[in-house]
Amino acid sequence: MNRRTGSSITRRMLLAGASSAMIVSRTSAQGPSEVKVGLLVPLSGLYARPGTVMREGAEMAVDHINAQGGIKALGGARLKLIVLDSGDTTEKAKNAAQRMVAQEPDLVAASGAYLSSFTLAVTEVTERASLPVLTLSYSDLITDRGFKYVFQTSATAGSQARQALPQLVKLAETASGKRPKTVAILTDNTAASVASAKSMREGLLAENGLQLTVDETFTPPLADATPLVQKVRAARPDLLFFLPTVISDAKLLLEKMNEFGLGQGKVPTISFGIAIAEPDMLQTVSPELLQGVLTCVASWGAKGHEALIAELKKRYNEPWMTQNAISTYGDMWVIKEALERAGKADRAAVAEALHSMDGGPSKYYPLGEIKFDDKGRRLGAGMTIVQWQSGVPVTVFPPELALAQPFWPKS
Amino acid sequence: MPTLRSLLPALAFTAIYAAISLSVSNSYYQLVLTLVPVWAVFGLSWNLLSGYTGLISFGHAAFFGIGAYATALGQIYFDLSPWFLIPMAGLLGGVAGLLIGYPTFRLQGHYFALAMLAYPLAILYVFEWLGFQEITLPIKRDNPIAYMQFGDPRLYTLLALAMMLATILLTRLVERSRFGMALLAIKQNEAAAEAAGINTLAWKLRAISLSGAIAGAIGAFYAVVLLVVTPQSVFGMLVSAQALTVAMFGGVGTVWGPVIGSVILIPLAETLNAEAGSRFPGIQGVIFGLAVVCVILVAPEGLFWKLRDLHRKRSAPKAGDAQQAPASTATITTLQRELRRRPASADVVLEVQNLSRSFGGLKAVQDVSFKLHKNEILGIIGPNGAGKTTVFNLLNGFLRPDRGKVLISGRDMSGQKPHAICEAGIGRTFQVMRPFPRMSILDNVVVGAYVAAKSDAQARQLAANAVSRVGLSAVAGRLAGELSTKELRLMELARALAGQPRILLLDETLAGLGHGEADEVVTVIQQLARDGMTIAIIEHTMQAMVRLVDSFLVLDHGAVITEGEPEAVTRDSRVIEAYLGKKWVAHAPH
Repeated sequence: MNRRTGSSITRRMLLAGASSAMIVSRTSAQGPSEVKVGLLVPLSGLYARPGTVMREGAEMAVDHINAQGGIKALGGARLKLIVLDSGDTTEKAKNAAQRMVAQEPDLVAASGAYLSSFTLAVTEVTERASLPVLTLSYSDLITDRGFKYVFQTSATAGSQARQALPQLVKLAETASGKRPKTVAILTDNTAASVASAKSMREGLLAENGLQLTVDETFTPPLADATPLVQKVRAARPDLLFFLPTVISDAKLLLEKMNEFGLGQGKVPTISFGIAIAEPDMLQTVSPELLQGVLTCVASWGAKGHEALIAELKKRYNEPWMTQNAISTYGDMWVIKEALERAGKADRAAVAEALHSMDGGPSKYYPLGEIKFDDKGRRLGAGMTIVQWQSGVPVTVFPPELALAQPFWPKS
Repeated sequence: MPTLRSLLPALAFTAIYAAISLSVSNSYYQLVLTLVPVWAVFGLSWNLLSGYTGLISFGHAAFFGIGAYATALGQIYFDLSPWFLIPMAGLLGGVAGLLIGYPTFRLQGHYFALAMLAYPLAILYVFEWLGFQEITLPIKRDNPIAYMQFGDPRLYTLLALAMMLATILLTRLVERSRFGMALLAIKQNEAAAEAAGINTLAWKLRAISLSGAIAGAIGAFYAVVLLVVTPQSVFGMLVSAQALTVAMFGGVGTVWGPVIGSVILIPLAETLNAEAGSRFPGIQGVIFGLAVVCVILVAPEGLFWKLRDLHRKRSAPKAGDAQQAPASTATITTLQRELRRRPASADVVLEVQNLSRSFGGLKAVQDVSFKLHKNEILGIIGPNGAGKTTVFNLLNGFLRPDRGKVLISGRDMSGQKPHAICEAGIGRTFQVMRPFPRMSILDNVVVGAYVAAKSDAQARQLAANAVSRVGLSAVAGRLAGELSTKELRLMELARALAGQPRILLLDETLAGLGHGEADEVVTVIQQLARDGMTIAIIEHTMQAMVRLVDSFLVLDHGAVITEGEPEAVTRDSRVIEAYLGKKWVAHAPH
């Protein structure tokens, strides 16, 4: 008896599910003067904050594109942003991607999904649905799978470290008058940090004449940074590479460094990734502690983006423009450009246009061109070095994008 | 063995589910339809261990993750197909179950649950350390079917459904057999199960490796569906929690619980993610959590049991009428209270030599020696704290003696596990009764019969005999939780008898009984002795004992004061002193 009750509940539920599917697909039929673009980012859970900033960047871009006459090749069709929440787990991200391709059949392209684990799962779905996806995630694996519909606008993790190291050495040499020789690495064990640290250990440091004296990997979140800092103090390296993903870890370590008399530039601290330059940092760490800290990121609000930065501040009350905002802003313009070249609102045509595109020098991503290689990696993708100066992380490298001169913390 | 009829609901459910999924063309709904059986199977695997044994595992993600990584890594590094890797993952999960279970089953209750929590978290870091933060199953464009990469998502649902049906059938098979009985007995009372001859460690290890195997296989399939494996997504806390959530929501200890839980919760969570997620980010978690909390408040044991209880209540009046006649409990013809004066047999069936056991500084049992002859009733008496129950615990293996020997039919069994001693022919009952309250009288007794039975049918036969020997046949179908103290005492006696022991250890079998009730039980015991059973009994009620026993063994402060025939012992001044204090010795008749 009870068993029958169980299965009838199921039947009813599934029927309800199926009928709601039909409702959704009916409402999604829209006029031809609109072209849908997807944005699949975390809007709930642990990564909601960066996901929200990505949405802000995308919304600004779509507004700008539409204000400037939409897609001209499609008779001025307007872009419409379809936002989906990828949640905070890989499974949720994959489910959201499946929902995106199943319920928005007329999407022409999408952008997402912040964390590289999410992007990997999402693109497994979009690849099979032939939906082109642009991503700012920089795990090498994303474009190492032989996929045809994923386009990576950031320099990959391996390449970022390769580009950054010579610049950092040069910067240190010109600013302090002496070439750094020894380095320490403190990294957490998340995918992106591990990839950057690995490429440094396996040759990059040696190529740049640097010797690794401390090499520690920790699991976030840190309970106590003392043992790590003690090792750094004992070794006294010329540079410290510090790769956190969680803001609380960055705070703990910087404070502990200060406590041990290593802070504020006594041991110049260089990070990789966006965590240490997020606006949330200022809520827990004082600007004095952050002064001079450098971080290497795939993209940042830079020279030429002044108006955008001002608008983002005014419209969304963001203190500065992070990679998440500027890259997603750029993604929408690249999709717009591809639509112009494709001449029709069709995902296969857009993918084809992205592959064959030669959009000239990049405006919103650092350096390189708007052109993708066979793997889907942006040609000449550069990166930016950002430095905390008076409570704001500003772009200091490359020179053509720098909003301020870098300074080397004097010891 | 499950009959075809009992499997009908499972088969019907699967067929209906398959028909629905075949008619759904939307790939997103299809994915949800695939995930429902996946989490149901994971819940079933959890249920097989924790639902039936009551040992809560917070760490089933360990097996799930091992399966998932085995499949992903096997395909990446050895180009093996999931068709081969999923069974392999099951094997690995089973081995992991053994390796994890063996040390962890030393712990009980909350300690077991917490220790289990540690395994997936520890393994998670191992995989991070190995550099497997993110791995993806390579896309196979040439030969997708051979690598379980279907163009039609409905095939995944069918495959998941097949795994679910197989798991349901397996669970049913376990549930109805000696295996399931042993697990249920362990859940309700591990000590009683062990004393009833169940090798609890062996059955628990079988349960955890079977459970681990299922979890490993479904984890492997999950990797094939998700295509990306990260430590968090397969070893994370949320994964272990998912198994608990679906099983506890639907009902623990039943094959339908995890299925019901999964069928309701997975689509609910997805719908919330889809509908509320982008509008009010985060609200989906709140609604989902509230829904689970509400159901747990209304139906703490899960939906299945709530529905079953409601159904029972509705059909209860009718059943009550039918049961009225036999409900007047056991009726036993009072036998003549003759003093048994049987010739003391020369056969020594149990010999205790210099048995000693201390707890820290307390010498609970010191140098106790006695012999139990075949067909004798030995009464062990002594004031509270004299060490009587400790002697029993040493005899049946709950405690290891510090010194001394226990010889059963001449064979030294001291320090053996309780189930081994039970197999050697010693049955026992407990001072504090240890019934399996959710099982019927007959099933309670069947648990005790397995030690002597080769097949399930034989066990039921032995159990029925034992139930009739204590006079409970008329009420054999009632749940143990509904019985009176007397019936419980008799049921415990039957459970001990079902294992065909040669020696019975009865621990205060008459405690808590009224005068008339005690007589009924005494009569049963006398009848057993007449049938050739050897019995050692601990008792406070002297009157009853004097009538019952052939000889007494008197303990005080853990040591034997005296032993001998009832008449002599009750006059012994040391005995009176031990019981009543020095000043009464003078008043005692000499």
